[in-house]
Amino acid sequence: MIQHIDTERCIGCGRCVRSCPLDVIRMAGPFARIAYPEDCMTCYLCELNCPAGAVFVHPFKAVPPEVFPGILEKKEGDQA
Amino acid sequence: MNTIKHKPDVLIIGGGSAGMWAAKRLKERAPELDVLIVDKGGSKWGGLMRLSGGDFEAVLPGEDVNDWVKDLTYYWDGLCEQDVVADLFRRAYDRLEEYHRMGCGSLTDEEGKLRGVPQRGLPHVRLYPTKFKGTGGQVMADAMAKEMDRLGVTYLGRVQISGLVKDEKGRAVGAVGFDCCTGDFLEISARCVIMAAGPASWKPGYNGNTSTGEWVRLCFDGGCKLRNFDTLTVMNAPRKFFWEGQGIYLAFGAKFVNAQGEDFMARYSPSIGSNTDNNFICRGMALEMKAGRGPICFDLSGVPEDRMEFVRPNAGNQLLNHTKLKDAGINFLTDTDIEFIPQVQLTNGGVWTDIKGRTGVPGLYAAGRCRSIDYIYMGGFGLSSTAVTGWIAGDAVADELAAGVGWTGLPRGQVERLREALYAPMKRSGGQMPHQVLRKLNGLMARYDVCLLQSEESLTAARAELGRICAEDLPEMCAPDFHYLAKYNEVEGIAFLTRLFLEASLARRESRGSHYRVDYPKRDERYLGWFIHTKGGAGEVLTEFVPVPTGRYPNPVDRFYTDNFRFDAE
Repeated sequence: MIQHIDTERCIGCGRCVRSCPLDVIRMAGPFARIAYPEDCMTCYLCELNCPAGAVFVHPFKAVPPEVFPGILEKKEGDQA
Repeated sequence: MNTIKHKPDVLIIGGGSAGMWAAKRLKERAPELDVLIVDKGGSKWGGLMRLSGGDFEAVLPGEDVNDWVKDLTYYWDGLCEQDVVADLFRRAYDRLEEYHRMGCGSLTDEEGKLRGVPQRGLPHVRLYPTKFKGTGGQVMADAMAKEMDRLGVTYLGRVQISGLVKDEKGRAVGAVGFDCCTGDFLEISARCVIMAAGPASWKPGYNGNTSTGEWVRLCFDGGCKLRNFDTLTVMNAPRKFFWEGQGIYLAFGAKFVNAQGEDFMARYSPSIGSNTDNNFICRGMALEMKAGRGPICFDLSGVPEDRMEFVRPNAGNQLLNHTKLKDAGINFLTDTDIEFIPQVQLTNGGVWTDIKGRTGVPGLYAAGRCRSIDYIYMGGFGLSSTAVTGWIAGDAVADELAAGVGWTGLPRGQVERLREALYAPMKRSGGQMPHQVLRKLNGLMARYDVCLLQSEESLTAARAELGRICAEDLPEMCAPDFHYLAKYNEVEGIAFLTRLFLEASLARRESRGSHYRVDYPKRDERYLGWFIHTKGGAGEVLTEFVPVPTGRYPNPVDRFYTDNFRFDAE
């Protein structure tokens, strides 16, 4: 999921805002900001389109809903 | 909030592969037409095509289309409209060639011949991988977006359509929606409307809050016939991160193994084994987990080195993902302890149309993944079928417009009612955010006994839980801004699509394709047909069964892919 936009590096070009399929990023004054982090799907389009290397997306996704509730899930992987 | 009015000749809802191919065909047939595409994503982002691998199914010149029809009649356990599928694949190679002309090449051998990858153990069906491994979908989306500019198609991003508008005779005459950033209300009057939305899904791909489904409700309310909601795509995905392309790896010898290192699919299907669809593998995974033989991992050691070029990411978001995972200590290509779990993604359910994409509602066509064709997914079908069905709908609309259909205007009363209903959730305060309610719906669908090993008991319990969510959580859901209003509509759509899925799954008291009932583990020929859902006079869901018209098809329905598997032996 998207983690961070570095305002030291952000040049305010808005490419990440335009390229995000899910409207996660908006402009706030001169910089882009993460407005709706819960909607990120880790597609990396913002990071790939950023000319300044200001966006960082973490490769781990949100913890998925339980498939085998209660008895069978391996728990140690859940911290992601 | 402002009201913005548009009056194109054709409104296309959805700007992915299907929508852009429909627009392309329309403008090539009749350049004077004003074609408007609207999409929830950014302008010209190109829909889920941008995130796809770029694999494309096509029948090459000299091959027999009917061989593919036979394959798919078998693969879809008979639920195949043979004339529709023949028409689709007769047109697929032309679209692939157009992609080549637009600079989107396919992988070829030293002699320049396309390198096909057989799918799901079928004798004829093949996908043709892009030569741009890792950026194939992106290259195609960029090429089509450029085509939209060249052809003069208007493409509005960040617009969600909230209602279809019909005239007093029942003809679709436009739609209303809103700008997800500014909240401006859009009234769009059109001579014809093409619904070109993506798949109805709980969480496409990345396990995020990315569900789509509002178009299902829209089409239902608009009077369309819906079908195939008993189908699912359940993906075998790493628990912690996302990785796509397992279908190609499996075709080249990769396997899923249980805690004992056993290739368990060879036990469930000695004839096909692991080289099959996700749904069958996930069913096997669930049985292994239940029997205490989990966790399930992916074993790439069987893929020969000369096939690794199909596997190894070398560009784009796939390479970035691979690099970041390696930084986090995970090497997908070599680690043998990456845990996989089944993750329910989407249904193949959608609008049932005729061969030209006509929905039965005059003036309304459907194309792409929202037009339901396939009973089980297979690699490369997405890009191929969306390009072709988009082209078909564009062609059919050009025919209809040439016959002289005009604008009839939007009935004011209907527009005002839709406008009021659209913004009503914004007046609520407090309550639950859309993603909190979505989490509950996804939790319901994720359970193995709902999406993989179903029974009357588990489906009935899920229906009761859905009833509780609809009665207690949905009325609490709020939309503090226009972004959340779009999410609100999506989640309402997902609740409705979950209902269709449960109704259809309860109705089908047999096992076929992705649908598996532990209480009815065998195929039953009384169910050789489709469950069709329509809206009743009081707004209720009406469900009828329509048998496959085997008598008018060229190929007999006497071989069934499902029969290769035995999941009820234990």
